[in-house]
This record gives sequence, C-alpha cells and structure tokens, in this order.
Amino acid sequence: MEPLLELLSDHTVRTVLTGSTIIGFVSGALGAFAYLRRQSMMGDVVSHAALLGIAAAFIVASLTLGSGHHTLALLLGASLAGVLSILFANLVVRHSRITMDGAMAVSLALFFGGGLTLMRIIQTGPFTQRAGLDTYIFGRAAAITRADLQVIAVFAAVALVFLVLNWKVFKLYSFDTVLSELVGYRARLVEPLLQATIVLAVVIGLKVVGLILMIAFVVAPASAARQWTRSLGAMVLLSGTFGALASIAGTLVSVLAGDVPTGPVIVLALTAIVAVSLLFAPHRGLVARALRRRRQRSELVREAHARGA
Amino acid sequence: MITTTLPCDAVCEARCLSVAYREALVLKDVDFSVPPGVIMAIVGPNGAGKSTLMKAMLGLIPTTNGSVRFFGRPFQEVRSRIGYIPQHASVDWDFPTTVFDAVLMGTYGSLGWFRRPGKHERQLSWAALEQTGMAHLARRQIGELSGGERQRTFLARALVQDADLYLMDEPLQGVDALSKHAILAVMRGLRQRGKTLVMVHHDPSTVRQLCDWVTLVNKGVVATGPVEDTFSESNVRRAYAHMPTEEWFGKATA
Repeated sequence: MEPLLELLSDHTVRTVLTGSTIIGFVSGALGAFAYLRRQSMMGDVVSHAALLGIAAAFIVASLTLGSGHHTLALLLGASLAGVLSILFANLVVRHSRITMDGAMAVSLALFFGGGLTLMRIIQTGPFTQRAGLDTYIFGRAAAITRADLQVIAVFAAVALVFLVLNWKVFKLYSFDTVLSELVGYRARLVEPLLQATIVLAVVIGLKVVGLILMIAFVVAPASAARQWTRSLGAMVLLSGTFGALASIAGTLVSVLAGDVPTGPVIVLALTAIVAVSLLFAPHRGLVARALRRRRQRSELVREAHARGA
Repeated sequence: MITTTLPCDAVCEARCLSVAYREALVLKDVDFSVPPGVIMAIVGPNGAGKSTLMKAMLGLIPTTNGSVRFFGRPFQEVRSRIGYIPQHASVDWDFPTTVFDAVLMGTYGSLGWFRRPGKHERQLSWAALEQTGMAHLARRQIGELSGGERQRTFLARALVQDADLYLMDEPLQGVDALSKHAILAVMRGLRQRGKTLVMVHHDPSTVRQLCDWVTLVNKGVVATGPVEDTFSESNVRRAYAHMPTEEWFGKATA
C-alpha cells in the first residue's frame, strides 16, 4: 500500500493517472454508441487511420513550428484523418456494390498504409525528436505530459458536451433511424455529429491504449456494461466507468513495472471485466440463465410428480 | 384503372408516383387519394410493392417520379401530423430500453432538438400505454416482449404523437389474438375520433370487416376507392393474377 500512496503523491504520476482516467471514461462512454449501432469496427478504422493524421501533423508541425511534438496538432490531425476515413468508407458504399464491412477494410488499409509510409519517411528524414511517436501505436500512459493533459481534457470535454447536448437525438437515432428521420432529425446531420463525437473519443484514447488495441476500448466496456443495465443512460455511465477502471489499472501497472506499454495491460483488465459480466450479471449473465433454466426444470418435474401422485 | 371520384380535401394523395430499385421499376404511376376519417388498406400479393409504396410516400426511399401530398402539403411541412408504425423487425430489440422509454421516444419529435421530455410527455406516454393495454408491461425491457407486444409498443409510440394520419406497415402480421384484438380496438377508436389510417395489409379476407377504403396494388394501382365497390372479385383477381382467390369470396360475394 505504501509504495502506491507514495506513487500517488508524485506529481507526474497524478498527471498520468488523471489523463488516463478521463480518456478511459470518455472512450468507454462513447464506445457504447458505436457498440449499439453495431459499428464497433468503425473504431478500428478510425484508430488506424489516425496514424496517417498523426504522422502528417508531425511533419507539418516540424516544418512550421520547429517541433513535431505538438499534442494539439497531432490530435487534430488524427481527428481529421479519422473523419476522412469514415467519409471514405461511406463514399465507397454509396457509389459501389461493396458493403460496409468491405468498405471499412479498404478504408483502414488505405489510411493505415499511408500512415506507415509517412512514419517511414519521418524515420529516415531530417526530423529530430521523432522518438515519442510510437507511443500512439502501442499506447504509453506514462508518456502523458502536462501539456498533453490539457489537450486531452479539452477534447474529452467537447465530446462529453456533444453527448449531453445531443443526448435525445443520439438516443433516438441509435435506436430507430427511421423514426428519427421522420420526426425531422435528419440522418445527414445526426450521423456526422455522432461519428465526430466518437472520433474525438477514439483519438484521445490512442495515447493510452494505442491504435492497435483501441478497438477493445470501443467494444469491451460497452459489451460488459450492457450486461448489467436496462437503460441507455445507465449503460453509457457504466461503460465509461469500466473504461476508466481499466485505464487506471493499466496505467498503474505500467508505471510500477517501469514504462511498459499500457495498451496490452488495459486490454487484459477489460477482458477480466467482460468475462465477469458475461458470467455473473444478474439477469443476462450465463450463470443466472443457467440457474433460471434449472429452476424451471425442477418446477416442471415437481408438477409432474404432483399430477402423478 | 378504376378510380371513383376523388374527394377534394384528401388527407393523403399520391400522383404519378414511380419507384425504381436499381434499374427495375417497382411501382409505376401510382395514383390514389385517401379521404379523411377512413381506414384504408393497401392490399396486394407478395412483392407487389406495398411496403415500398408506404416508404416512398414518407420519403424514406427515393422516388423516380411523381409526388405525394399530405393535407395538401409536402411531407416536410406536416410531419408532426403523421404517425408511422414500421414493421416490428426494423429496430434492434436488444437496445437497452424499457417499454415506457420506447413509447416516450414518440414525443421526441415534438420537443425539438434540445428539450427533454417532461411531465406532460410522461402523461401522454402512460395514456398511450393504457390504450394499447401495455401499461402493465411499462417497466419491461423491450427485448423481453412477444411479437404482438412489440407491435403494440410501436402503436403506443405512434399514439403519443397525436397525429391525424397514421401509416401502418403490416400492423397485424405475426401478432397473437390478444394483441390483434387490442390493435384493432385502437384503430377503430382512432377512426371514431376522425383520424385517418392507412395500412399495408397482407390478409385480403379481413379487408371487408376492417376497412372502408382500399387500394389494390401490384407494381402499380389496380383499383382504389371505397371497399364496397372497389374490393370486387374481379379487381382482386386482377391484383392477385394467377393466384387462387376464390376462398376469400366464399361468403363476401354472391
């Protein structure tokens, strides 16, 4: 316990923990919408596409600002690339007979490939301080600086404000797109708003989880939260809480074990949460369902005996 | 095409409506008009374009040609006066929401983008649940409902809109006897209050006892007008070309 308390009094550690908690909560909460709309894979597309935006922003920032390590520029680049990757997938679907899953794969490959190419150019080019860029691939919470935290907080706040302001419309649209359209909340407007909100949440998560495992952050907290809740509000809150808890766990392990990537640890924590939820949730859990079936069966047997006797 | 004189104050009017899916015309030159206060059935064989017609009327799928007017205006201007009850397979029934909450969503349109439902909207929802006999299931998750209960939830959700025209896509398909009874009672009650109902209907044998207006459809309008003269054996036979129709007229026609 003592090393933990000592750790928490450390200024850097507090910054890192605050950052990863915010990120975990927002990504988990917004992931619930992607999950319910069966668009979880969109999170994977966005997180991979973000590499292109990050690399491009790094180059631009290096050339114009003198240093590539400009968090705001990197995250704006990532958001832009994320939005473009979704638009591209939608464009492919609209103008061809390729379905969404195929279009997303094409989009992911194209943007991620572009990102890898730029990363190669950065490695071989005349750029200094390129060392930190790979934290976005595997996630390293320990690398969150004070300046990062400010940008992350702003992105998270914007995403949460979007979510709260548009709550009713997002909810109706996620449940019944047709009714939403009919009563005047046009898909043309709601869809990009909701997607942009999800993109913000995915993009800030990269720093902690990394782009490869970000998909787990979109799906796992939501699928665990769905097991315990009966309303969208409760599900989104719980999903955010699960995300935050896993994020904190990953960060602590990462800091204590000395700078290991956070992403894999977080995914392990999330897997544990999902496993417990699938098994032990009171109504939808596998154990509860097995118990219900057994009770039913024994009741039937008892009735049959009563009739026989 | 057989058309009776159109009343001038039609609640809903389609003119030359054509819909194409990819390159094939699914509906061609649909013309009909619905007078106020009737229950109108859209009847036709499978694949005749009944649901397509309803979706095209609401602008949910693009039309190739023609126009639809409600109360003499385009849909966008009168959307709050029109309620729609989709086929119940059209939403995700595992969505985390209760029956009450799903019905409350029917009020979202009238509230505008930012306002949240309040006491008034809750009262409307409870009243709609009472009308459809669903009040005792209000706290139930929608995923735990039977097919008929799901349909009644959709009906209640449309009722809270307090529309003047209700468009229903197969409201009686796959529902149990109790739900069917409840849905029919609500429909008749709406007609009594002067509302107009248009429904896609799969069962020609019940058109006479349920509806007072009918549009027979098969890739286009075969006949439209009051049930007494429009729903004749010869018209139905033309709509259901090559299908045995005798049994539906065993008692109805001499």
